[in-house]
Amino acid sequence: MTKTTASSIYSKDLHAGVESLFSSIGEGVITTDEFGKITRVNPAAESILGYSERDLVGEWLPKKIVALSLNGDKMKFIDLPITRIFLTGKAVSEKMYYVRKNGDRIPVAINASPIMQAGKPIGAVEVFRDITFEQEVDLMKSEFISLASHQLRTPLSAIKTYAHMMAEGYMGELNDDQKQSLKTIIGASNRMNELISTLLNVTRIESGSIAIMPKTVHIDSVVREVLPELLLMAEVKHIIVDLKTRESPQNKIKTDPLIVKEVITNLVSNAIKYTQNGGEVKIIVKPRKRDILIEVHDSGWGIPSHAQDQIFSKFFRGQNIIKRETTGIGLGLYLVKGLIDILGGKIWFTSKERIGTSFFFTLPKGKRFQSLPHFKKIEESEKYNSN
Amino acid sequence: MARILVVEDDHDLNNAYGIILKHEGHEVVSAYDGKEALTKLKDFTPNLVLLDLLMPIMGGLEFLRQWCKQGSAKQAKILIFTNIENSPEVSEAYKLGAERCIVKSWTAPHNLSRVVKDSLATESKTPTTSN
Repeated sequence: MTKTTASSIYSKDLHAGVESLFSSIGEGVITTDEFGKITRVNPAAESILGYSERDLVGEWLPKKIVALSLNGDKMKFIDLPITRIFLTGKAVSEKMYYVRKNGDRIPVAINASPIMQAGKPIGAVEVFRDITFEQEVDLMKSEFISLASHQLRTPLSAIKTYAHMMAEGYMGELNDDQKQSLKTIIGASNRMNELISTLLNVTRIESGSIAIMPKTVHIDSVVREVLPELLLMAEVKHIIVDLKTRESPQNKIKTDPLIVKEVITNLVSNAIKYTQNGGEVKIIVKPRKRDILIEVHDSGWGIPSHAQDQIFSKFFRGQNIIKRETTGIGLGLYLVKGLIDILGGKIWFTSKERIGTSFFFTLPKGKRFQSLPHFKKIEESEKYNSN
Repeated sequence: MARILVVEDDHDLNNAYGIILKHEGHEVVSAYDGKEALTKLKDFTPNLVLLDLLMPIMGGLEFLRQWCKQGSAKQAKILIFTNIENSPEVSEAYKLGAERCIVKSWTAPHNLSRVVKDSLATESKTPTTSN
């Protein structure tokens, strides 16, 4: 006869407690052994996936539950959260689709972590939740902003067109004060237009509906194309903008030139905006073996060291800048980071207060751009600078 | 000089485009939605159509579809003038024969003249009949 001890009762209670806890978790939980074989599945996971625990336990997770990336392609074994955690020993968060037992796909947000013992992974735990509703809300938000932006742009187009017509002499000769006033109206409308474009782009990035139009281009030409507009901006503050690049076959790259232009325009206009009159901005294009490095240096006010880890956050603006420069809503660098991620590049910076800031970003050579079937097809629209 | 149909529901913009294009010496006819544009096309054969996409009664895409059915759309250059950049509507317009898409809120009058001039200078789609 087995003797019941206080510790075994305690152990049974603990086990029962853990069991109820596991079953009651509102998010789907799947645990595996160190080979990825499923060991436990909680009721929430059963309900999300449509499989019973019996269907799953003992099966190899990567094979049994089909995972699709957000673009709808089947995920490669190496990209699966479970593979990545075993390879790196680190937790992974991912948004993707799981395919349910009945074949339907369900969008999920997954947090996968290795279960470590004595420094070694002895299993894994995946916690996931159904994000169908969040996706729908995102889509609605994106459609709303898209529509609102269009409605805002219509009266803006009329303001700009008539201001330009007057400035270009369609309504007769103007005196200098009148010309100056129109220049102010046009400048303000341009700022409003940029703001609307930024909002639209941020919405598109967040909803995953920005599409890529890869083309083989010379990066130096792409930079030169955006320069005239930026030079006008620099001229007002007597800032010298210096471009160091040369035409070289090494500058040839397959990327989305419109996105690259958006990134460069943002970085250089920031550099101009946050540099005192008479300062200097330098753009350097450096082709390298695996990528092209683009540098934007300024002799501006710099980013305070305590704020440096926040500059790619949404709506962030440096305290030292708010006092000097009132325009701007802190979306530029957030947008730039999102766009560079889409192009498969990296961005970083160095900065010293009152000395200046240098931004660096890379565009990878040989990046394979996937066609994204559920993304909105983008066509190249043409923006005509109206300064 | 060319014969241009401006299809734009915003009266202020339609009027502005008319002034700019007439200033360049073009003959301009205005319509304020797709349906009106189709009616105007019965008496006017343009070399170029400046077309907005989002309009009441009949939008730009439906206008293009109907015009294509009539077979006469091929005779004119189609320039899309819209504020809904990078959208499925723009892709659809290209499929229906649009040559270029220009963002209205970025376009100054001298640019409008230039785009029209460039477009007319490329291999012309001369109207086969004129009224």
